[in-house]
Amino acid sequence: MCPPSNLLPFHPASWRFALGVCLLASTLPGASAQDSVTLYKALSMTELMDLEVTSVSRRSEKLSDTASAIQVITEDDIRRSGASSIPEALRLASNLEVAQVSSSQWAISARGFNSSISDKLLVMIDGRTVYTPLYAGVFWDVQDTLLEDVDRIEVISGPGATLWGANAVNGVINITTKEAKDTQGLLLLGGGGTELTGFGGMRYGGTLSPNLHYRIYTKYFDRDSTLRPNGSSGDNNWHMSQSGFRLDWDATAINLITVQGDLYGGRIDQPGPGDTEVTGGNLLGRWTHTFSPDSDLKFQWYYDRTHRNIPNSISEDLGTNDFDLQHHFLVGERHNLVWGLGYRHIDDHVVNPTTFAFLPGDVQLQTFSGFAQDEIALVPDRLTLTLGTKIEHNDYTGWELQPSTRLAWRPIANQTVWGAISRAVRTPSRIDRDFYAPAAPPFTILQGGPGFESEKLLAYELGYRVQPTKRLALSVATFYNDYDDIRSAEQVSPPAVVPVIIGNGLTGHSYGAEFTADYHVTDVWRLQAGYTRVFVHLTPKPGSTDTGAGLSEANDANNQCFLRSSWDLPWHLEFDADLRHVGEIARQHVPAYEELDLRLGWHATDRLELSLVGQNLLDASHPEFGTGAARQEIERGVYAKVVWLY
Amino acid sequence: MLVLSVAPQPLRAQTASREYQIKAVFIFNFLQFVEWPSSVFSSDSDPIRIGILGDDPFGSSLDETVQNETIHNRRLVIQRSHRADDLKNCQLIFIAKSENRRVDEILPLLDTRPVLTVSEVDDFARRGGIIAFYPEGKKVRFEINSSMALRHGLKMSSQLLGLGRIVGQNANSGER
Repeated sequence: MCPPSNLLPFHPASWRFALGVCLLASTLPGASAQDSVTLYKALSMTELMDLEVTSVSRRSEKLSDTASAIQVITEDDIRRSGASSIPEALRLASNLEVAQVSSSQWAISARGFNSSISDKLLVMIDGRTVYTPLYAGVFWDVQDTLLEDVDRIEVISGPGATLWGANAVNGVINITTKEAKDTQGLLLLGGGGTELTGFGGMRYGGTLSPNLHYRIYTKYFDRDSTLRPNGSSGDNNWHMSQSGFRLDWDATAINLITVQGDLYGGRIDQPGPGDTEVTGGNLLGRWTHTFSPDSDLKFQWYYDRTHRNIPNSISEDLGTNDFDLQHHFLVGERHNLVWGLGYRHIDDHVVNPTTFAFLPGDVQLQTFSGFAQDEIALVPDRLTLTLGTKIEHNDYTGWELQPSTRLAWRPIANQTVWGAISRAVRTPSRIDRDFYAPAAPPFTILQGGPGFESEKLLAYELGYRVQPTKRLALSVATFYNDYDDIRSAEQVSPPAVVPVIIGNGLTGHSYGAEFTADYHVTDVWRLQAGYTRVFVHLTPKPGSTDTGAGLSEANDANNQCFLRSSWDLPWHLEFDADLRHVGEIARQHVPAYEELDLRLGWHATDRLELSLVGQNLLDASHPEFGTGAARQEIERGVYAKVVWLY
Repeated sequence: MLVLSVAPQPLRAQTASREYQIKAVFIFNFLQFVEWPSSVFSSDSDPIRIGILGDDPFGSSLDETVQNETIHNRRLVIQRSHRADDLKNCQLIFIAKSENRRVDEILPLLDTRPVLTVSEVDDFARRGGIIAFYPEGKKVRFEINSSMALRHGLKMSSQLLGLGRIVGQNANSGER
């Protein structure tokens, strides 16, 4: 898929070269009921009334307990948006940049630095980190589950590195599925349309013993190709199928055990011979032990395996083993402590084409990490200070320290002012260190990045949340991010344009603001709005010979806004509308666009829901990301869906 | 497939369902929107007492909710009993589902006392209780019998009244 002429490093097209598989490693979910209660207490009554009660959240909610720019996408939000994939659902978080690149590829980032291989966002599904060590980003085409099983998606813009570690530089996405006991019975769904041409799914949840619940699911979908700018097919039809299970065993009142896993396989057509093939699976076990109401411990292990074969490009097999331990306890009346340890082992095996290569092809990487955080009630109910740091050791750069401090002030009820200063790093991935072109010496184009160090961020955040009336909630989060040692392409023998070597020659900053509003106009009509501005400025440092000025690093629309309406009509009908405006991506000459999604849902009976969804209705097709003739345009799509519960 | 039915599970302190975690926080919020006559407190250091009448469905979540909290500088304490009489000093009494059949006996015992009664038993607000939880889909909703609140000498903020469904003599919104 990547002709040699496209392979000049740091030309955006080359970075988009292959996109392999993945599901990777690490991190810390889980915690106690205490966390949930603390989270719920931070909500307004209106927000409480919006929560669904059918599932239990055991995930660590420390970030939201403290002060951060968090947006939560609920199960109901997803259903009513008509989103048919995780990336589509992520459009509901206005603090994310979400751009569809092709039928299967997405460019997703927070607070700038978007690219189809964005590397500053940490994404987790049920505590399993999903990123590829190839480029420290996410292969969105293999991140899926039955959307009906998703409990909620938390999106935090801003660094979360203190808790979550390297990669949580600009944001964290935390996808949590429901517990098995909340997905009991049979669910069947199916449908199809013009772009999402066909899909189906089935889930069955049962009870093996009073305390042992399980579910199994299977699903598939077919998606039509996007279009080239000239209107011809992009030849990237996409088919996936996936199955999985989850078992929740409340072994005793103080011991909870979860085992879950997924298997998937799919293929993505590509221009030229052959299809990209993806397969993979994962298995996760988690044990939560409660010592007392003030203290609990969680241990988690998972193994994740992915395979991706891209004809005329790489073939990759990746295995990840991840262990995570987390302990949370209270000290006295004012200290809420959480600490943890983590270990991850990655076994990556790449078969290279002749035009470029990851060298060596086979790599084993280890990460050790530890973190500690104390949430201190300086003035109970009024002023909370959170201090913490992560210490992480990786094979490329050794020890990395990622501290943060956060302050939350609640001057009166329903108002929170918060601020934070955090340090985060983006540790090297294989594309920074091991990427060569061509595949054998002399490397006349790209000579790896043997000296590449971590990219560094010092982030300053200030936010405000208020609920002026019972029906209205508003928030604003602002940030100034100071970056250093951002990836660059340094000329080996200037002024010769090639070969280049990957370095840390860029420096820069970004700033912006994220506004949200949530207005329950009446009991049956809700309006939500989001407006986000972001500006990224990168410049070469003295001595750098980089000429791209971050062209491959940051391709952002400077503004985007969303307006969403959810309206309950009589006769068990629901009408939902989602209007979005995304500004121009100037560097890629992607014009600004507006698009509209509409959904009409009908709960024919308690067990049967029918819906009709239109996506991207305002244009026959429009581009969202990318450059040149390879850029894809997203077509208007309509699909119908039936969900039957028994 | 067969779903095994079983004896009721023992109360499990740490794993109260999300539903009751949410309801615990609702109760905590109710306390902040209601004013009691000052006579109910004998001193400034008197805590606000929350009574749970019947089988406690909250596990530890109500304790966790009020732990370290104060409202108008008063601490919050929880008392549990199966006898209404034991809870007569409480400012809020949550009547558990286990008392469903006895509600009509319990409420007269509390009549005109300055106590906020909260329950999830059927039709609680219409049977003379003050705040009743009810489910709407998967969400928690509540209705308020505001005239009964007045009768108990309680002042409810308009914000609370605006969020709940009003039932009782002065309202006709029981069409659901």
